[in-house]
Amino acid sequence: MDVANGVTIAVILFGVGIFALIIRRDLVIKLLALGLIDSSSVLFLVSLNAQDNGIAPIVHGPGANYVDPLPQALVISAIVINFALLALALVFVMLLVERYHTTDSLRIAQQVEREKRS
Amino acid sequence: MIIALLPLGHFLIGVLSLLWQRGARRILPFALLIDVALIGSLWSRVAGGTSVSLVLGGWGRDLGIELVADKISLGFSFLALLLTLAVTVYLWRERQRPYFYVLLHFLLASVFALVFARDLFNIYVIIEILTLVSFLLVGYERKARQIWASLNYLILAALGMAMYLFGVGIIYYHTGTLNLTLLGERIAGMQDQLWLITASTLLVVGVSIKAGVFVFSLWLPAAHASASPAVSALLSGLVIKMGVVVLFRLSTVLDISLPLIVLGGITGVVGAVYTMFTYELKRMLAFSTLSQVGYLLVGIGIGTPLAIAGSLTYGVAHGLSKGLLFLAAGQVVNTTGSAFISEQVARQEKIPRATRIALFVGTLSIIGLPPLVGFCAKGLLSAATDSLPLHLLLVFVSLGTVVAFSKLTPLLNPRYGCSDERAKAISYGILALPIFAFLPASFLFVSWIQVLSWLGPLQAGESVAIIGAGFLVYLVLRGHPVRLPQRIFRLEEAILLILAVFFATFFLLAGSV
Repeated sequence: MDVANGVTIAVILFGVGIFALIIRRDLVIKLLALGLIDSSSVLFLVSLNAQDNGIAPIVHGPGANYVDPLPQALVISAIVINFALLALALVFVMLLVERYHTTDSLRIAQQVEREKRS
Repeated sequence: MIIALLPLGHFLIGVLSLLWQRGARRILPFALLIDVALIGSLWSRVAGGTSVSLVLGGWGRDLGIELVADKISLGFSFLALLLTLAVTVYLWRERQRPYFYVLLHFLLASVFALVFARDLFNIYVIIEILTLVSFLLVGYERKARQIWASLNYLILAALGMAMYLFGVGIIYYHTGTLNLTLLGERIAGMQDQLWLITASTLLVVGVSIKAGVFVFSLWLPAAHASASPAVSALLSGLVIKMGVVVLFRLSTVLDISLPLIVLGGITGVVGAVYTMFTYELKRMLAFSTLSQVGYLLVGIGIGTPLAIAGSLTYGVAHGLSKGLLFLAAGQVVNTTGSAFISEQVARQEKIPRATRIALFVGTLSIIGLPPLVGFCAKGLLSAATDSLPLHLLLVFVSLGTVVAFSKLTPLLNPRYGCSDERAKAISYGILALPIFAFLPASFLFVSWIQVLSWLGPLQAGESVAIIGAGFLVYLVLRGHPVRLPQRIFRLEEAILLILAVFFATFFLLAGSV
């Protein structure tokens, strides 16, 4: 894949993720946007450190144009952690939905505020 | 060897206490005892000012993960031990699910790992674990308010860590290393490169969201005010400090002192104003954490050895006093059944005596009364600040703290009071003793000769004058409640503010080189 393309796509995805995180009120969609942001950072890390026409770092013999294997090893940890965060966040959203019967963040915030005052 | 054993051991014990659920509460003090022995043996090796280093896995420094123990990491490990012990004792009589103790072990493990970490990606992984653990701790009691606060916290923290990862990618692309020491050698003389400025901004903003810096950590008041008292004490005393430690590690390598001073100043001032005009006990304590983090950042930003020593000492001192205050505040809210200070004053005969004393000691330490540890740290910081505007800033923050905490004086009336549960009283004692025994605590990071040469009657006088003036301002302001905007603490506004200040920080850094 073209390196510059990967980096550009990553930055665009990050922007789209933030935009969705701000303007969408649905909590599930907010978490999807968060997943998009996480994936964009992974894509950025991998594609910035790859070179054009590089091949995957699996040994084919000496002299092949391998890409640097370290960032690829790093993003595996990042992907696993992001998966864990997202899974737990969804459980908490589930608890909130059981309580308030809505995934609308604005209405949940108002309900929480009202309960606090009473 | 010991350095790796501390975090790994706690992860292991955490899993074990999941298997042996009935003993989970009893294992914890023994594990802490072993920690004290391990940290003591490390301390004897670093006491001369050297550091102990370990590269995991037999790789070189540029590939392997390096763990380094120095006085700073051991000082914060010690704080972690004290706070965990106090929290365990505080909850001794109240049955917790075993799952709570597992989380405590994981929290300790990640704190130990973080104070020793010297590798950008290692720091990323540990901060994420810390986020996960504190996310679960905030929502531990399953109240809707707590779950909502911790969800907001999670979304903002994850956003920050994604930014941090972008920064890590840029740094690895240009330098080929993630080790902070090697990074410092390789970027020498490149301070004006655009990529370095971008990467520094991304790293600083990413960590700041965790560190309780104003406009980045707008999740903090809700999370710390709604969590259960033991959890608030840990979060405010310990987890926030971990973000500050990481910012300090970054500042030793990257040239970020100007944004740290500016962000620290804003955090201090805005935090102090919000602390003054918040009338809900735990929320006020949370805002006070914000304003004190401003203190720490200014100290790190100034960057002279004395300022750094003062600032980190204050990190430990504030951890102790804020832990004590949150534990006592939890008991106040429990016994009076109200979150607001005015109603608590009305029902104050129900507050036990030990809780009152704990509240008093914590207050005295945080406003910096001379013999206590809070004064030692604040005095060092104020002695290290040469420029007048910065000095005035620190004075304003201290003044705001005094004004805010003067609101608690009606609660401290010694005439009322019933006796307290013994477990609670002991847990207050665990945190209050080091506050009184200021000598060992304030000499953690500098030799005592230096401390005595810097702390004179001048600092003591300044501190007492600030306390007196603050109390007078409180008397003037008492009848005039002010309602400050609370809208910025909503999730969407918080994200917008983070973005805006991200660009502001970038231009600040770009303009300074």
